[in-house]
Amino acid sequence: MITLKIAIRNIFRHKTRTIITLSTIVFGCVALITAGGFFEDIFYKMRESYIKAHTGHIQIYQRGYLEKGRVEPYAYLIENPGEIIALAQGVKGIRFVTPRLQFSGLISTGENTISFLGMGVNPEHEKTTQALAQDLRKSTDNLTLGGVIVTSGQAITSGDTYSVMLGKGLAAAIGAKTGDSLVLLTNTVNGSVNALDVDVKGTFYTSSQAYDDHFLRLPLATAQKLLATDAVQSLVVMLDRTEDTARVKRELAQIFDAKGLNLELRSWKEISEYYAQTVKLFNRFFLIIKIVVIIIVILSIFNTMNMAVFERISEIGTIMALGTKRRGVLNLFMYEGIALGLLGGIIGVAAGIIVTAIVSRIGITMPPPPGTTMFWLSEPKVVPSMLVLAFVVSLFTAVVSSLYPAYRASRLEIADALRHK
Amino acid sequence: MCIVRLDNVRKDYQLGKITLQALKGINLIVEAGEFLAIAGPSGSGKTTALNLIGCIDKPTAGQVHIDSMETSGLSSDQLADIRAHKLSFIFQNFNLLPVLTALENVEYPLLHRRLAPLQKRQMAEAALESVGLANFGGHRPLELSGGQQQRVAIARAIVASPLLVLADEPTANLDRATGEEILNLMKKINSEKKTTFIFSTHDQKIIDKANRVVWLADGAIV
Repeated sequence: MITLKIAIRNIFRHKTRTIITLSTIVFGCVALITAGGFFEDIFYKMRESYIKAHTGHIQIYQRGYLEKGRVEPYAYLIENPGEIIALAQGVKGIRFVTPRLQFSGLISTGENTISFLGMGVNPEHEKTTQALAQDLRKSTDNLTLGGVIVTSGQAITSGDTYSVMLGKGLAAAIGAKTGDSLVLLTNTVNGSVNALDVDVKGTFYTSSQAYDDHFLRLPLATAQKLLATDAVQSLVVMLDRTEDTARVKRELAQIFDAKGLNLELRSWKEISEYYAQTVKLFNRFFLIIKIVVIIIVILSIFNTMNMAVFERISEIGTIMALGTKRRGVLNLFMYEGIALGLLGGIIGVAAGIIVTAIVSRIGITMPPPPGTTMFWLSEPKVVPSMLVLAFVVSLFTAVVSSLYPAYRASRLEIADALRHK
Repeated sequence: MCIVRLDNVRKDYQLGKITLQALKGINLIVEAGEFLAIAGPSGSGKTTALNLIGCIDKPTAGQVHIDSMETSGLSSDQLADIRAHKLSFIFQNFNLLPVLTALENVEYPLLHRRLAPLQKRQMAEAALESVGLANFGGHRPLELSGGQQQRVAIARAIVASPLLVLADEPTANLDRATGEEILNLMKKINSEKKTTFIFSTHDQKIIDKANRVVWLADGAIV
């Protein structure tokens, strides 16, 4: 007990030095918590905008589509989407299941003709929201929560039989704007050529520039009419919570197997390779930040502990003369280091939460990520695992950086130490 | 009863290429209850002799017996045990731990004893009272005068009722009057509690208070 008491009181002996050391630990914690929260916000927004605009949480295909669908896109269509949707709706956590039909063709303004990829969607499900360009927070929210945002004109509705929305890049490529008339030319599922006159109701933007450069969106019924089919290509499952993806996918697979339906399922994670790679890349950046922070904190505590040992050589001699063993001296300095780490960790975690919350409230304007064109607002999140990490790092670095000074103190020769002035 | 016996004890210090002979083979027997002064000029080997008796240094040659136990072959932990249970020290610079109060400083040696916390506290209070500082228990060393600090150091030295108290120039950093007071206090404890004291000094007035004086010069007893 008395050793612990001495350790704690020694920490407050040199208040300025302790404050500087604690500040380093606190700074390290804040850096970890804020940086971790910043990356988590990127992951979250990227993931959610991708899920909402492109992948959904889970995609359901006719078995074989994923392997051979590129060659024969219409050979693996889902003929009975209504039955499957009804089956899936029973699973807890599903917000809705929506059909999609994707196809390719040529689009023409009369003057310009280029190829496009079309996606027939249910506009009631796959809603688009108007972005408020002046309010970065609002447009970032729209992108995160809605996935697709309208950049000009209006969103399509189920009633818009002869209207489409063009990706921002696609519209620019053919020089089309809201209100223009276009001709879509494609092959039906049977191979014959079909064309349709449509109006541009609006243009949209998603977090993927490649998508915006090639895709147009139109009501599913229009797409089905153009392709002369009642079938759909995929069913996209949207959940209330992304965390439920694995469970829902498992349960859906069981239901479909039990019914003998020849379907296959893919989660957003399996589809979004780009997301997985980005997470990997950013986690590597974060690892470097972690290492730098750990080194700074270790050096700071090491310096403090080393000075503490040097200044207290005579005291170490005294307590050893009074019967304290080398191990006792080692413990004394280890306790001091650990107490510094604990204190720094507690203050650091609290400061990290406060700083992250403040930064999040203010927001950091970020340039468009690779492959996109829109500025967005970063709002770092307070991530519980990052709080634990910051605290563990404080304690771990304190222990590591106290080891050598404590060992050095415990190896002093008593007679020499007592002579030390 | 003999509690300290030095048999032909030699202590050399290596200073670069020069070997300095601090003690040149001394023999000494100290009986229980003695109030012994080791006297001599600076550099005569007084502190070295006390360090060897106090098990905080090891002789280059010869044997040191404490309470009939030969100490030269003992490990650092075993020597720490002897210091904790049989010996205690009073230093020239008082050497109180600045972060502890007077009472906590006095209690420190009891850290190595298996006693109830309350009992430790009571023993420390009694020791502090016996040196006349009952009302200063809550003071930190820096809030005390030199004489008071040395009294606290004496209380710390006697709190665990050691076999032997070693005091290295205990009055050297005090004025004459306070130094005498301190020595009288040590003497009182020696006569009342029969605690054995060995102290080093070069002050004739202090030497006069000893029951026996061992004179050292150039590392040898003269």
